[in-house]
Amino acid sequence: MKIRKRSLVLFGGLLIVLLAMAADTVVVVKIQTTAIRQNPQFFSPALVSLKAGDKLTKISESNGWIQVKTQTGLVGWIHSSAVDVPKVNLLASNDPMKTQAKASEVALAGKGFNQQVENSYKSKHTELNFALVDRMLQVKIASNLIEAFLRQGRLGDFGGAK
Amino acid sequence: MRTLRAFSALLALGLLLLASGCSVVQQGTDVLKGTGAITSDQANTIKTTSETIRSTFGDISEEEEYYIGRSVAALILSRYPVLQNAALTQYISTMGSAIALYSDRPETFAGYHFLVLDTDEVNALAAPGGLVFLTKGLIKRCQDEDTLALILAHEIGHVNAKHGLQSIKKSRLVDAFKLLGTTAIKTYAPDTLAKLTGIFEDTLGDIVGSLVERGYDRKFEYEADGLAVKFAGRAHYDTGGLTRFLKTMVGDSSAASGKGWFKTHPAPQDRIKEVTPAITALGAVKIADARTSRFKQAVAGLK
Repeated sequence: MKIRKRSLVLFGGLLIVLLAMAADTVVVVKIQTTAIRQNPQFFSPALVSLKAGDKLTKISESNGWIQVKTQTGLVGWIHSSAVDVPKVNLLASNDPMKTQAKASEVALAGKGFNQQVENSYKSKHTELNFALVDRMLQVKIASNLIEAFLRQGRLGDFGGAK
Repeated sequence: MRTLRAFSALLALGLLLLASGCSVVQQGTDVLKGTGAITSDQANTIKTTSETIRSTFGDISEEEEYYIGRSVAALILSRYPVLQNAALTQYISTMGSAIALYSDRPETFAGYHFLVLDTDEVNALAAPGGLVFLTKGLIKRCQDEDTLALILAHEIGHVNAKHGLQSIKKSRLVDAFKLLGTTAIKTYAPDTLAKLTGIFEDTLGDIVGSLVERGYDRKFEYEADGLAVKFAGRAHYDTGGLTRFLKTMVGDSSAASGKGWFKTHPAPQDRIKEVTPAITALGAVKIADARTSRFKQAVAGLK
């Protein structure tokens, strides 16, 4: 009887663990700006723009793309390189107190080497022209121009004549 | 009693898993603390561990990589003037942005950006995060768009594999993470900022030293060649463009080549030998006429 009770309790505990593992995974946008797309490809229409720190619920994954749901219930696709998947690797240690959790992008947002450190470095090196770097960063090629370039050159999703 | 402890442990494990799915360790520890499964001190230990566990280049955040890349770019731009040719810059930027979409890391913190440097030196450089530079001398060596595409893909390969960040000395990272790990605030006090700025400066020195002066480890160059073939191949470029370019460098002892590419890259014949099997496996690709004509138009004004 005692053994049966113990088994039941352990079974219940295991069930909680399994349910927890099956629960939704939340991914967090780790780049300045990006978008959720209708289909898992860059030339698919953008459904909504996102910024660093935005949280999404992961639904599935396919060829480097993650199907996600926004907090407002919108479903679409985002490339895996744009998001961080917070993880706790419990298998790394028997002691949960020593969990090998990787510092997440969210926890690090704005910390470490940041604008304040760059400003401090800049003040020591006034000979460096950061305005040129800012100008370089401002040049962004629009998605429709990249698509036209690929189409014209029969490249990528729009070509491949062998 | 033992059963109860086992149940509590499983419950704690489940809650921690739930917490890790919900957000990050911080939230998970709060949940556990709330259930009484762990004490307040233990929760703090987990939080601190999660913040200080950073130890390798892979732990540098996207945002930190962006700030490192910006300063590396500023240092590159202090050595070379920018070519004032809007049409060519637009052409290179569009091609580079297109290839990046077919890479393993199409999205970086602030995206990929490309610039042409006004020098006859034959060189290409990529700052962490995706700031890519090609020299006029290198572009003049390319016979077609596909050759240029493979060079851009090679640089995008360096960014994908974070070779710039990998050239930071391990001890430097340990110092930085030690200092950063114990600091939970975003605005640093003057003494911490001074120390961080010093480490930042040394970090830039490690990267620029590899990028411009010593060159990357040979294995990084071979890896970038392999990634170039992979990414440009996905974009349906003729990956033979890489060997076409490398062949122009074989036996070239001119000053223009010696200052840049030759000084920082393995011998071209070794690279050809290493990368040829991957190119052969992909097979030949017909270069569309539109690519040939737009390439000629883009480089026509180069002197």
